Amino acid sequence: MISTKMLTTVTFLYLLCTVLYFNYLAFRSERLGKVAGGLSWITLVIHAAAILWRWVESYQLGIGHAPLSNMYESLVFFSWCIAFLYLLWEWKLQSRVLGAFAMPFAFLFIAYASLAPGVSDRIDPLIPALQSNWLHAHVITCFLSYSSFALSCAVSVMYLLKLRKKEKGQKEAGWMALFPSLDALDTLVYKTIVVGFPLLTIGIVTGAAWANYAWGSYWSWDPKETWSLITWFVYAIFLHARFAREWRGKRTAALSIIGFLAVIFTYFGVNYVLSGLHSYA
Amino acid sequence: MTLKEEKGFFSSLGESLCSLRLTIALLIILAVASIFGTVIPQNASPEEYLRAYKISTYKILKILGFLDMYHAGWFLFLLALLSLNLVACSLKRFRISWRFFSHPQERLDEDQWKALPGSRKFSRKGLPAESLAPYREALSRVFSRPKVLEDFKAYSLFAEKGKFSRLGVYFIHLSVLVILAGALLGSFFGFRGNVNIVEGETADKVILRSESQAQPLEFSVRLDKFSISLYPSGAPKEFKSTLTILEGDRPVVTEPIRVNHPLTYKGISFYQASYGVASVQKAVLNIKDREARKELAVAAQIGTKTEIPGSASAFLLARFIPDYQGMGPALQMIFFEPNHPHENFWILQDHPELAEKQPGRYAFTIQEIEPKYYSGLQVTKDPGVWVVWIGCFLMMGGFYMTFLLSHRRVWLRLTEKGGETWVEIAGSSHRDRPGFEKELEKIEQELRERLPKERRNSAKSEDPP
Repeated sequence: MISTKMLTTVTFLYLLCTVLYFNYLAFRSERLGKVAGGLSWITLVIHAAAILWRWVESYQLGIGHAPLSNMYESLVFFSWCIAFLYLLWEWKLQSRVLGAFAMPFAFLFIAYASLAPGVSDRIDPLIPALQSNWLHAHVITCFLSYSSFALSCAVSVMYLLKLRKKEKGQKEAGWMALFPSLDALDTLVYKTIVVGFPLLTIGIVTGAAWANYAWGSYWSWDPKETWSLITWFVYAIFLHARFAREWRGKRTAALSIIGFLAVIFTYFGVNYVLSGLHSYA
Repeated sequence: MTLKEEKGFFSSLGESLCSLRLTIALLIILAVASIFGTVIPQNASPEEYLRAYKISTYKILKILGFLDMYHAGWFLFLLALLSLNLVACSLKRFRISWRFFSHPQERLDEDQWKALPGSRKFSRKGLPAESLAPYREALSRVFSRPKVLEDFKAYSLFAEKGKFSRLGVYFIHLSVLVILAGALLGSFFGFRGNVNIVEGETADKVILRSESQAQPLEFSVRLDKFSISLYPSGAPKEFKSTLTILEGDRPVVTEPIRVNHPLTYKGISFYQASYGVASVQKAVLNIKDREARKELAVAAQIGTKTEIPGSASAFLLARFIPDYQGMGPALQMIFFEPNHPHENFWILQDHPELAEKQPGRYAFTIQEIEPKYYSGLQVTKDPGVWVVWIGCFLMMGGFYMTFLLSHRRVWLRLTEKGGETWVEIAGSSHRDRPGFEKELEKIEQELRERLPKERRNSAKSEDPP
């Protein structure tokens, strides 16, 4: 299939973007940064085209559904959301510093989709439970929120790296010279969560509304549901700790990373480790 | 215990109840407990548990309520405590937030003027009384309508925007309580059950999932027809049950239900949940005559003796089972041959090769089974579900107010200084300060351009003499 080949190309392009962003940091060359940024936008467009083309192909096969229905398709979409949200931030902040930490996420998820043995890239018809318009709203909001949390995690890692250098009293390594200030990173950790948290809530609510149609119950403590609630709790703790207890810096960065680990477990762990109703993705 | 100590105890209890430390602790405990609930299978049968755990472990888990954890007393207690904590914290904070509505700070004192970052100052021709009207108009246009307070020869203007965002957090907290109330309503006044109905038959009660007892319905429901359609690959495409609701003997509604498309009647919803083969309407058997070396197809019904054409033998299909020892659908056959005792054996649909082991002159295989299906319906009544959705909308509204709006305030002071107007601007925003800085910049620009400049070099660092 053409779309699968396009996505394989996109995978390598993301790797290239990641490498370019790292070199941008290492050599502090504005030109490299521009190349990385430009290539990322091009990759994002090809990636979107591949997703749309896969949609067309599913119609050509006589199946006809949005490419959001299994592990492969969700990983591809997740990767796209990460790149998309990152590039929006890059544009808003007018800074390419986060690229070296955000793009690896986009690359890893799409690479996992292509390479993991258990993940099939076949287009299969929708089983009855997935034949619902709630599918789109649910999947899109969930992955946008996951992506925002991925960015938050990336920024938290940058924060902790910078902080460690500072606490040791070492001079900043060359590649960290372009990093924003600790305060700016801390604010960004928070802002990305402020984007992700309402989206996660909408994701859970649309999931509940859908479950109410499909299974006759908006909440059945299925492992996937429960883990999404656990994730929600972690970010709720983050927001309360920051708003009302004035937690900043190291502790909130750690919470953001814990939150993203919960996201990853909700996404992969539940499917591979636990069993439940939600066995597609 | 003395009265004083008692008061101390209750006030410290009250204090812990409205502490955020308790909120965070409860959220952590609930999160960790929920992890256990996803690792330990919930509401499984004792046999399944005993396969996974030692009997002593099983007993301990059962006593601690870990096997139906999300409905266990201690879990519900934690949820109740969280709700109480939510109410207490919200009430405590609400008093502070409400001051922005009941006692808005319309005037800054001298210290506050100094303390607010980024205040701007410049002077303009004319007395404050003359500049007041254009400034009021300008501020209304670029920000919001100010309130004017007159001091001795001076004016204070106060304008604010988005003060409702201060209430967003209470909407979110309220929404959590509303959702929990909806869940409670559903668990008290609703039920969740299952019923299997064979095609053509009627049910007027359902088996409740929690207590495995029957819940009578006020009406009855008939399964007219069940059908499956498959994709070419063999994967299921659609399960459809055509249901008829009967009031007494009178049919009132006939509607097909599919997965994702339930039928609701009098607040009770019917969902397509499962299906199975209940019995056989008609079976077509392939009969191979081992002696004459020919084959023929014979249709038969369960329980009716059927003769094999062109012979003195006959057979009777005694019963059908959907799964014979894990080998799929099977028919039990009783075979009659003249001058022989009758034979009794099973014919497996998915294993035609086993027919060679059948005794006698004939080998029977199943060509086709026209099944009579039963449909497994989930039957739910949940009067709380609308309350839950209202809670969800409230939460979205709360997020919008909390994260997208911010309470921005602008103070303007016009004082007289040597026949001119000395203008001071200060502002505060409880969120997104960099964004607000830009807005303040714009306001200053607008006000500066409003009236003619007295001096060219008036800058914001300038101080009144």
